[in-house]
Order: sequence, then structure tokens, then C-alpha cells
Amino acid sequence: MRIGLGFTPTQTKPMRILIVEDDAALASFIRKGLEAEHHAVDVAGEGNQGRAMAMEVDYDLVVLDLNLPVLDGLSVLKSLRQRKANLPVIILSARSRIEDRVQCLDSGADDYLVKPFSYLELSARARALLRRSHLPSESVLTVRDLCLDRVERKVKRAGRHIELTTKEFALLEYLMRNAGRRLTRAMIIEHVWNLTFDSTTNVVDVYINYLRRKVDDGFSPSLIHTVRGVGYQMSPEGASA
Amino acid sequence: MSASSNSFQKLPQSPDVLGELLHSLSQPLTSLRCSLELSIGEVAEPQQDCVAVALEQTEKVIGMIQLMREYLDSQQPVPESFSCALAPVIRSVIDELSSIALVRGVQLRLVGTCSATIPVPESRLRLALQYLVAAVIEAQSVGGRVILLLGEGPAGAVLRGEGEPSFREPFGPTTSLLRVKLAIASRVVENAGASLVFGDLGPGGFVLRVPRPVA
Repeated sequence: MRIGLGFTPTQTKPMRILIVEDDAALASFIRKGLEAEHHAVDVAGEGNQGRAMAMEVDYDLVVLDLNLPVLDGLSVLKSLRQRKANLPVIILSARSRIEDRVQCLDSGADDYLVKPFSYLELSARARALLRRSHLPSESVLTVRDLCLDRVERKVKRAGRHIELTTKEFALLEYLMRNAGRRLTRAMIIEHVWNLTFDSTTNVVDVYINYLRRKVDDGFSPSLIHTVRGVGYQMSPEGASA
Repeated sequence: MSASSNSFQKLPQSPDVLGELLHSLSQPLTSLRCSLELSIGEVAEPQQDCVAVALEQTEKVIGMIQLMREYLDSQQPVPESFSCALAPVIRSVIDELSSIALVRGVQLRLVGTCSATIPVPESRLRLALQYLVAAVIEAQSVGGRVILLLGEGPAGAVLRGEGEPSFREPFGPTTSLLRVKLAIASRVVENAGASLVFGDLGPGGFVLRVPRPVA
């Protein structure tokens, strides 16, 4: 069966996004992915062009590479911030040092992704930014008959209360927040465990199994699916992936 | 040996050269990773396994690049403005790693506290402590215990990591990536004026000493 990109278009309102990236191959992959999520995407290959387009068009999000020809990304960012203070900007950079990250965030970037990043991670960060700028934060997450109350710290499926440990709750919340999207093990371990290193642990698989026993066993359809070669996905459609 | 061949031999060890190479590698690897991620669901079933293996191997290479970057970063001088408290960071690391220890059948416990601060960015200290504690956990067999003792004396703060019973030496040459991670941890704390000794408390043990700042 074809897994597809695993995106659910109805979850995020289609947006207009500008990618400013001089690597044509990378820009085309990002464009392809975002267009598959039903966003309208423009691409600029150098800094001046990117700045001009961002100034002229009302974009919902700018994905901005730092190392650009003609005008570097940081200058584009500073220039954008003078005219469009609320425009969400994600920086892409091969510089991983804290000082570089701090400099970009201090200059007005909303997020910072270090290359070689995962497209799935970029997509998730873009959604989070768009959600933050367009929607109030949800206190209750719902996927079919599964409900997670972030304030009360309670989980119910088909009206039945489910007892979860702190880590299981955090994992379920992350899966539900990204329902319909594929999540790699690296993304899960980074977001739920706050670990950034390449660990040989199978902790994600073990905790997914714990969750399946509590959330899926005895209920239909199963909501947590393994995506071969990638990781996991909570599917609101209940389809096998 | 001529002067020019001497300087040539030094080039590969220069952090700037390595940094530039890693920088250049990251661009095509990003494209490769994104293309594999996007195509895995697009190809027919028989090819999905090939794409999955290619993606897995790409992510392994990226993991090694990340380690190389961390190693280079750990050698950089720390800007003066950075400082963080040791106790909250170690508590948070224990919290993050406790479920990993649990999955391995190892108990993980922190005893004591201290008020010491270290002149290092919190994320860098967190990384160093994650590598240290993860190494001690890895050295335990199922049913083992890892105890971290945090205390403070006239000379400064001390964090001792000890496994009971340790069955494996995590600092040996067979676990090369773990050794790299521990080398990073060591660089981070030594750059911040602290000291780290491995194996003092048997296999897998370590002692981290943070001296009191000179008044």
C-alpha cells in the first residue's frame, strides 16, 4: 500500500509561503513537500529577490536560508523585521553554534533549523508557527474518539478514562498534535525526551508499545501506526500505514 | 621534511577546515534526506524498503556529522555571558533519561544537591551530562543501579556517577561512538574550568568536579 505523504490537508489552513534558498535542489524538495500540504509556495534563489518578494506579497511564512548570494539571510531578516514585524520566519542554517542561533533569534527569527534537517521537522515547525500566529492554543486535543485534556492531564477514549505515565502522556500529546503526519523516531526522541543525540536506545518503540496497549487495544480502529522506514503516525482516519 | 609539507599535515586538524567541510556536507545531505523522506511514500511497495534503508543510512551519516560538530563546538571558547546552575540541569537530565534506564531495566537515582554554577551554555552542559549519564546506564546489566551523588565542599561541587554492578567498561575501544560522546563531554566541562575523571569508581563511573569560582 502507498503510504503517501501522510498529510491531512484539513488540519492546517492553506498558507502562502516563501522559500528563500539558493540551493535549487533543496528548494524544490521543500516546495514539493509544502505544496503536497496544499500550501501556495514561491521560491527566491538569492537574498535581494527574497527580500523584495517578502516585502511585496503578504506571505504567511518565510523559510529563509542564512547563506545566500547577493544579500545574506541575516540582512534579509533584519530588513524584514523593520517592515513586517509579525511575519513568521524560520531560518535554515548549516551553522549549529549556540551563538549563531542566539544572533538569529535576537534579530527576529521565530525558529531556527540546522542543516541537514528533516523535511518532516521543517513541516512540523512551520505548522507550529502558523498555528501560533493564527489559532489560539488548544487545551483539548481530539482524534476520533480519543481526547487528551492538556490542562486536566486526562485522557479518554470512547468515554473510558485511560491512565498514562508522564512520558506516555507527553508522547501521546505529541502524536495527537501531529495527527496525520509521519514522525521519525529522531523527532519523537527530540521532542518528547528532549534528547538530541543519536541514541541506540529503543525507548521510542517501547513507549509506543505501552501507548498502543492503553490507547488502541480493545478499541477500533487502531490510531497509532508504524510507518515503515520512517517512524510512527497517528492516523485520524484509522487507516493502516 | 619541508615547511610546506608540515603545514599541509596540520590542515586536517584545523577546526576551521573541518568546520567548513561539515558546512559543505550539510547542504547536499539536507537535499538527500528531504528527497528520501518525500519519496518513501511515493514509490511502489517493493522499492519502499530500499528507500527506507537509504534514509536510515543517511540519518546515520547525519548523526555522525552532528557528533563532529559537537566535538568542534566543545573546543570553542565559551562566551563570558554564559553560565548555568549544575543542579537543575542534572535533575532535568535524570528526568529525561529515567525512562531510557527503565526500558533497559536499570534504576537511576540522584542524591543530593548543590548551588554551583558553570560558565557554559545550558544546552552544552545538558549534552555533556546526557552523554555521561547515558554511558553509565549503558554499562549496567538488567537489574543494575545507577546512583548519582551531587554534593558541595570547600573546594567546590562534585558529581559522582556510579553503577552497581557495572559489567562493562564503556570507555574501551569497542564502543567508538560512545568514546566520542565522552570526549565531547570531557571537552565541554574542561573548557568551563571543571574536571572529569572516568573509571574512578569502577567501570562506567565518573567524577565531575566544579571548582568554586575565585573571588
